Order: sequence, then C-alpha cells, then structure tokens
Amino acid sequence: MKFRRAGIILLTLALALTLGLAAPGMAAQEFTFGCAVPLSGLFGKDGQLVRDAYTFWMETINARGGIAGKYKVRIIFYDDQSDPQTSAKLVERLVTQDKVDLLLGGFGSSQVMAASAAAERHKFPYLSGGASSNKLYERGARYYFGTLGKATEEVRGCVDVFTSVTPRPKTVAIVGANIPFTAESCKGYKLYAEKYGFKVVHYELFPISLKDYNTMLLKAKAKKPDVLLVGSHLAVAMRVVKAMKEIDFNPKGVAFSYGPTVPAFVQGLKADANYVFAASEWTPNLPYKGPVFGSARQFNQAYRQRFRRSPDYVEAASTAAAVVQQVAMEQLGLKPRVTAADRVRLMEKLHQIDLMTFYGPIHFGKSGANREHPPVAVQVQNGQLINVYPAKWAEKPPIYPTPAWNKR
Amino acid sequence: MSTLIIQSLINGVLMGGIYALYSAGFSLIFGVMGVVNIAHGDLLMLGAFLTYWMFVGLGLDPFLTLPFSLLGLFALGYLMQRLAIKRVVGAPPIMSYILTFGMHLMISNLALVAWTADPRTVTTAYSGAHLAFWGLTVPWIKLITFLISLGVVGALYLLLHHSQMGRAIQATSQDREMARLSGIKVDRVYALTFGLGAAITGLAGSLVVSFRDVDPGMGLPYTIIAFCVVVLGGMGYMPGALIGGLILGVVGSVCTMIFTPGWSIAITFFLLYLMLLWRPAGIMGKGIVE
Repeated sequence: MKFRRAGIILLTLALALTLGLAAPGMAAQEFTFGCAVPLSGLFGKDGQLVRDAYTFWMETINARGGIAGKYKVRIIFYDDQSDPQTSAKLVERLVTQDKVDLLLGGFGSSQVMAASAAAERHKFPYLSGGASSNKLYERGARYYFGTLGKATEEVRGCVDVFTSVTPRPKTVAIVGANIPFTAESCKGYKLYAEKYGFKVVHYELFPISLKDYNTMLLKAKAKKPDVLLVGSHLAVAMRVVKAMKEIDFNPKGVAFSYGPTVPAFVQGLKADANYVFAASEWTPNLPYKGPVFGSARQFNQAYRQRFRRSPDYVEAASTAAAVVQQVAMEQLGLKPRVTAADRVRLMEKLHQIDLMTFYGPIHFGKSGANREHPPVAVQVQNGQLINVYPAKWAEKPPIYPTPAWNKR
Repeated sequence: MSTLIIQSLINGVLMGGIYALYSAGFSLIFGVMGVVNIAHGDLLMLGAFLTYWMFVGLGLDPFLTLPFSLLGLFALGYLMQRLAIKRVVGAPPIMSYILTFGMHLMISNLALVAWTADPRTVTTAYSGAHLAFWGLTVPWIKLITFLISLGVVGALYLLLHHSQMGRAIQATSQDREMARLSGIKVDRVYALTFGLGAAITGLAGSLVVSFRDVDPGMGLPYTIIAFCVVVLGGMGYMPGALIGGLILGVVGSVCTMIFTPGWSIAITFFLLYLMLLWRPAGIMGKGIVE
C-alpha cells in the first residue's frame, strides 16, 4: 500500500517534470502574454470589457497565423478582484512563475498604478488602454505607456459638448467618487468649466463606499446648477441616475466621465438612461485607419460580429495598446521567447513609435502618455449611444435641455 | 436651508429603516445562537438576485417576488444551519467566524461564476417615483421598504415575546442545556431561527434591488453595516436593530449634508468606536456582550 502511494507520487512528479521541461520547447513558436485585470469586484464589468478586447485581438491575430504571421499568441488572464495589491501580486506571478514573454495592461487607475510598478521593477513594458490617472505619468516610469488620454483630458468632451448647446449653460455642479480616475475627472471638469466661463457652483468628492446618494446629490440640487458633471465608473453612474430621479433633480444636462458607454448602463436603467452625456475618446465613426483592423468602422463591424455589441472606447483603447505593442515587436523582429534585452529594446521602441491606428494616432513620446485625441462626447438618445460632439463627426445634434423627470 | 436639513433627515430615516431590515436577521441569529454570521450580506445578495432574475426572466414585479425570497432563503438558512452552522454553535466565537467567512467566500464566488461581476439594476415603471410636498421628496419604494421594515421588526419582537415558538427560542438562547432538559428540540429551534434570520435578510435583498444595483460582491459591505447597526442598537435585541439603523441612517445623511460624505463615514465609525468603548451592550444597554 505504501509502495503504491509512493509510486503514484513518483509518477506524478515524473509527469510534471516531463511536461515542465517540454513546455518551453513546445511553446517556442508562440508568444505568451500575461494580463491581470478586474473580472470581479467594483470594476469587474469594466475589466471584462478589457478581457474581451484582448481576446478579440488574439483571435484576429491568430487567424492570420500570429504575430509577424508566424508566432501564435496565448494570453493568461488573472482576476485581480479590483484590488491594486492583488493586481501587483499577479503581475509578479505572471513574470516570475508563469514566465510570460510580455504583459498586457489591466483596468482602473489604482490597479494599473500598482501593477505597472511591479512591471517596471521587472523591466516589462506595460501598455494600458484602461487607465488614465495623470499620476501614472508622474512617476518617472520608463516602462509604462497608456493609449487613453490623461484623466483630466479624457473627460474634456463632457464639458466641451456644453459649449455647443443653446442656451449656453451658466453654472455647473461637479461631484465624483474619491478614487484616482474619477477624482481627476472632476479636476478636469473644473479646469475646463472655468476655462469656458461656466461657474462651478458646487464641487464635492465622495467615498466610493457611500451608501446613500440621495443626500449627497441633494446638496448639488440645492445649488440649482444648469449642468451636473459626475466623475464616475459604471456602478457610480447608475447609482447617480437612480438617486437623481428619486430626489427629482433636473439639471439641463448631466454628464459622466465613464459608465454610460458600458452596455449594462442602458440595459439596466432603460429609459432612465436617456439624455445623459458621456466623455469618449473614440467612436466608430471617427476617420481613423491603421494596421491589423483597418478603419474604425471596420473594427466596429468585426467586433460586433464577435460579441454582438459595439466596442466601448476603453475596449478600442485596449485593443490599440495590444496592436501598438505588436507592431513594435514586429518592427524589432522579436521572436519567442522574448529576452530581457528584447524588452529593453521594445521599451525604447515604444517611446519613439508614431503610429496611426483604427483608434487614432499613437505616439507615447518620453512620458509614455499618448498624444492628445480630440475630445468626443456621446449622448444616450432613445437607448442608443449617439456621437454628438464635435459637430464635424456628430451623428446627431445633442438634445439639450434634458426634459424633467416628470415630463419624459 | 432648513428644507435641506429636513430632507436629509427624511433620507436618513428612510435609509435607517432599510439598514434595520437587513440587520434584524443578523441580530436575531447572533442573539439566539451566538453566531456572528459573516455570510449575512451574501444571503441578502441571494435574495436580491432571486428578485432580479424573476424580474428579468418572468417579468415579475420586484414586490411580487417577496414571498419567493422569503421562502427560498428560509429553506436555505434552515439547511445551512442543519448542515454546517450546527457544528459551531456553542464553540468559541472564532469558529463561527471562520465557518461563516468560508461560507461568504463560497457563496459570493459561486455567484460570481454563475452571474459574472456585472452590476445590475432593475428599472420598473415606478422606479424613482416619489411623494412631493413642501419642496420635499419621499421616494415611494423607500417609504414602503421602511414600513415593511417596521412591520418585520415588530413582528419579530412579538414572535419572540408572545408565542410558544418565541419562548422556545428565548429559552434556548438563555440556557441551551436547561432548554433541552425542558423538552425543547434545540436543534430545531436553531434551524428555525437561522431560517427566519435568512428569510428576513433575503426579503431585504429583494427590496434593495429596486433602488440599488446588485452584484455578487455586494454582500460584505452589507455585513459590515449590519454589524455597525447591531453594535449601536445592542446585539440580539430586536428593537435595537431599528434604533441602530435609524441612528446610522440619520447621522450618515445629516453629516453628508452639513459636512461632506467622507466625514459622514468617518463620524459613523467614530460613533461605533465610542459605543464599543462605553456602551458595548448597545445604546439601550439591552444587547448581549460576549
């Protein structure tokens, strides 16, 4: 009996060893990418979009034979549970245990901040299309790159759109969750609101754990702003809409930094989702075109075919991050397995690259932050996301002022 | 300005009622069995999802799903007690923390696998509908939830103090061995209590769906609030859930109005700290101190 058990253990060990030794040899014709991204917790839904984006990129590339036409792509996804420390730990694990060739960026500024710091330590380039806190670029990091604009710029569309409506609003109230991206969104709102001469009559950040939004919004309502600007992710955006209706808060316009472009927003709130504005960095009707996916419109069509829904701008930005890393790899002629020296060369290449893609121009420069994209705003009209700003790309004009809750 | 304060008081009272509803079960289970149920919020989450799926799948109004979540969660609670919790009743408290924490992880992660992390929300024809008078608004759904909460806490109080079953539950919570010797089926009382606690919690979950988003990870924050409410009101003392809920709701809302939302949370927890220090048996001094 004892012998038998020992035998089994030995066999298992032997098997493990053979597999372990064989794996690198067999995998030599493919690139392994690692990605820690929130699949659960507060940013679970948003993070799943990022996973979809990378999966779509991988499937598209592999159907054409792989990177440079011959090296297949494999991605290891881990769920960081929307927790920064976990995200950093998982990046460590991807690098040291899974020994991935390269990384793909996660979602959410706090998570990405921690994860990319771990990547920096191991000298792994970390490209993200799902984080935009300005602080990400103030660390002197050399291996961090982001395709989204900085948070304060990313939300500009939300404010700019109100310069195009009549009557022009005079006052704005700004509220937002006090976590990196949304807090900086609020800073961006304030910056541009003041620049355009809108008076900021209320400005308040609230903890993400806040349970009752009614009283928090009541304070904004009391100031009677023409426009409400909200620093939000999906869940916060949904809670704000629900609370606004409960307290009968009727600003002439309401805009969110993030949330309404996630399909779950309109699915959950139905007609109550109508008329809200959201900032966007990308919509499928923009005149961009580049390698791998062709034009923005073609990318949108292919994505719709695969997931039966249009991609959100974070998905476009994440796919673009994967594409630019791929193009840089191809230009350098990298082969599996990627060595430490390769990664240094890749980092240097990424700082220089100047590429036009379906997502728009990508040029990271010294700081790692992408060149500014023109601000875009979308509005939910009849349950559809419609590009309403800037006028030259707008599908329809913005609906303003928003009808009061009791007049819908 | 005074309208704003009155409105924030109203918001606070309504939130307090909701806090009370989902804390009553927590208090009941602790009071009778001495079990701090960390999976409490996950029972609420299950109730919420039951309502969500019945709404989405069958088009059933959230209020019509209440009997289903009551019965469904009662059955689940009964089974949980019979199969697992039973083994830690009377053991050192740490055992029940570990067991129920494990249950929390299991339930929330199974839910995550089954339903993904999407925050979901239910929008009905009356979502956001409210009473409006003197420049004040009272959302109907929250008002009804508040009344249900009063009803539930009142019914629990009556049940515990004026019924055969209640007397059995009380006797068991006071002295398990004596209760057993007097012919009370202690295991059955425990299972009924746990079932009852779970049932009210499920009911609270079903009501929460109407004004709050639901996701598989929503449970733990609710457990924490329930814990605060029960510490404020007194562990195991039924009206305490209502008192604690109201204090928490009103303090939170008024502090949000006067100071900032950030301060409201800080002040709430400071209050909790003071209570643990000075009045561990709750504000009325009628709770159980371990």
